[in-house]
Amino acid sequence: MVENLQLAHQELSVIFDLINTVEANDSVTVASMTNPKQLPKEILSDLAVSTATKLQCYRHLGKYFKQSAKALEQQVTREAKFYGALIRLQQNWKVKRQRVAATASSSEGFTIDLFDSSLHSSAPVYRPSSLSSICIDHNSAGMLAINLPPNSCHSLHFGFLGVHSNDITQKSSRNRTYNSVELPSKETEKESLNENDCVQETHSLLREVHRSIFDEQVFDMVNREAFNSSLGVNVTGIRENYLQLGMGPGNSVFVSLVSSKDDERVEEERPQNLKYAVFPLDSLDGVKIAEENSESFNKKSVLPNFIIYEIYLKQIFHEYVFVRAKDRPTSTAARVSGQPTKDGPGLLGHFCMSLAHRIFSNKVLTKLENVVCGVSYLHLISHPTWHSRISSWTIFMKVPRSILPASSQTQASDIPKMKNITKTEFRTKIVVNDDSIKVEAEGAPNVVGLLKGSSENVYSTNKYDCDLASLPVIVLQQVASQVVRWLHEEALKVGIKANRDFLCLSFKLEQGEIVSLVAHVDPEDTEGCISWWLVMEEGYVGERKLHMDVANGASECKKFLGYLTLDVLYSTLIDLVTLCGGSGTF
Amino acid sequence: MLLTVGLLRCMLYLGVLVEREVIFEVSARMNKGGVGVGPGGSVGAGSGPTAAATAAAAQKQKNLMQRVETDIANIVDNFTHLVNVARVNETPVRNSQEAFMMEMRAARMVQAADSLLKLVSELKQTAIFSGFASLNDHVDQRISEFNQLAEKTDRMLARVGEEAAGSVKELESHYYSSVQRTNQNLLP
Repeated sequence: MVENLQLAHQELSVIFDLINTVEANDSVTVASMTNPKQLPKEILSDLAVSTATKLQCYRHLGKYFKQSAKALEQQVTREAKFYGALIRLQQNWKVKRQRVAATASSSEGFTIDLFDSSLHSSAPVYRPSSLSSICIDHNSAGMLAINLPPNSCHSLHFGFLGVHSNDITQKSSRNRTYNSVELPSKETEKESLNENDCVQETHSLLREVHRSIFDEQVFDMVNREAFNSSLGVNVTGIRENYLQLGMGPGNSVFVSLVSSKDDERVEEERPQNLKYAVFPLDSLDGVKIAEENSESFNKKSVLPNFIIYEIYLKQIFHEYVFVRAKDRPTSTAARVSGQPTKDGPGLLGHFCMSLAHRIFSNKVLTKLENVVCGVSYLHLISHPTWHSRISSWTIFMKVPRSILPASSQTQASDIPKMKNITKTEFRTKIVVNDDSIKVEAEGAPNVVGLLKGSSENVYSTNKYDCDLASLPVIVLQQVASQVVRWLHEEALKVGIKANRDFLCLSFKLEQGEIVSLVAHVDPEDTEGCISWWLVMEEGYVGERKLHMDVANGASECKKFLGYLTLDVLYSTLIDLVTLCGGSGTF
Repeated sequence: MLLTVGLLRCMLYLGVLVEREVIFEVSARMNKGGVGVGPGGSVGAGSGPTAAATAAAAQKQKNLMQRVETDIANIVDNFTHLVNVARVNETPVRNSQEAFMMEMRAARMVQAADSLLKLVSELKQTAIFSGFASLNDHVDQRISEFNQLAEKTDRMLARVGEEAAGSVKELESHYYSSVQRTNQNLLP
């Protein structure tokens, strides 16, 4: 208190001096200034404000650190997801890193290389597809994303011109495999997927792109070889991503590349002004129009399923380009039969020849089935050859069991007398090699014997070629000759000597008349392909009956017996033997 | 306060040790078959065409370690300063000055952390594109698996073909000896 009063007194005296000086008009200058000493309360309040300010500053920093930590955690998570997915993708795909700095914030500079460098070493150099290098991006969720331009993936289509009903149903089913291309680009769906699903979808997408590149290479190969004058293949139409090939009369195929979006509009890919132009799909009512046209229906029945040959085209390309390029030991050589040789037609030629063979063999099979349907005692046996250009069947005829016990008893007793054991099974083998038909059969008459005018008991196996038109006749003649041969042997068993010709079995009666059992073959006969006639003549030995007038069925010398089964034929033979009196001889 | 700083230093140095281990492993992948590189950064002498690659890898490792230590030291240093300026001064001017410095130190810390994250990304990329040994092994394994799968598929196809051929033969035999076919032929 005292000290404060003294300080106040000093300050007052200073003020009085100042006033006197100012009143005396003297100049006044400031010698020094001293801050007033703060009170403890003021010091504490200032300190409190500073502390609060600093505390506020630290809180602000704390918020900043929290936000930064959160952002860094998100970044860590995003990178962990991205690199985790990238490492998993790298297990199956070639991942490359771009050395240039990424301009976009979301681009990491990674690409996936789908180009197969081993193809560079093969003779035909394949252009790298535009899809060979795919950029890897981030999406908003931080997951690995691959964005493809629309309509970038193509698929190889193969088909037959003129038969397109299958194409509609088959091609519509392919749309589903390509819809997955769009899924990864939709971010809303992507965000809901976890990392595993994302990687799986990316794998699927890359696989689709890889397949698309392969299809483009196959189409490239087809294009390249189509103009190399392969055997029997002509280019009859060409457009962008579309190639039409003619493989002989009535057979035209097309190979095209269709983008994933254009699968539903496949009819637009086909030209309308070619000879074998297909009908507009809008005018089609399923398969009704095709079925109304018998010609197209028949054509469709001999054409194989186009899916099979689409797969086959891809398979032979893969086997003989990719596999050979990598020098992989082909354990599938046995499976892929009909391998094209270096000097022979190329892959496309081999493919077209296989396809032509399949179409031709279907026609052969149709003919053989008609023949077998027309003769009740014939069986058709298929022999899968597992060769793309060879097909084989057997027309099988077996003597019925009802006849066998009698013949077998006779056979047993006459074994010392007979030189040969009677055959009870007869086979006619038909082999189709490309478009040539070979018939191989037993029981054909010896040519020398025919020329000498007598039948020889020599059963040789003959092989001869024929064409499609004459195949039914040749097969029926072969079968009929086998039946005649069998009847001849049966007649010999019972002690009757008979004269056997190609399709004729003759007996001589006691009065000198000759009774002949003659076979007639007609593939077009709907009631039966092999009919039998009984012919009577007087005293002519060795006369041939090959030019018998079959139209004159009501002739006194000829009697139409009908379409006889083997049982009935055997019974007829026994009747003739009885008629001969059991002692007819030549 | 000092205890907090000391604890933080220990944690950060532990992180540095972990980073060093990661870098060593990446370097080992890059120098597959080469001499191992120790913490001191010494490089075993290589010979032949891989000497340059080995030297480059060692230099890269050294740079990475330097970056790690720089960033870690940066973080520790800035955090130390942040803690040190917690003291309230009497003059408000100094307090304002320290406030600006604190913001700057915090920003530097975040920047150093971000730099460390980028370093981790680089390490991951290096691991992805340098692990040829494991990648080649994996590719060989997959090739072997696919070859086996292809052979198995071929055998299955052959078996399917054989069964189909047998079925065709059996069906043909049944059809041609069936009553239906017989009746069909007997019909006019």
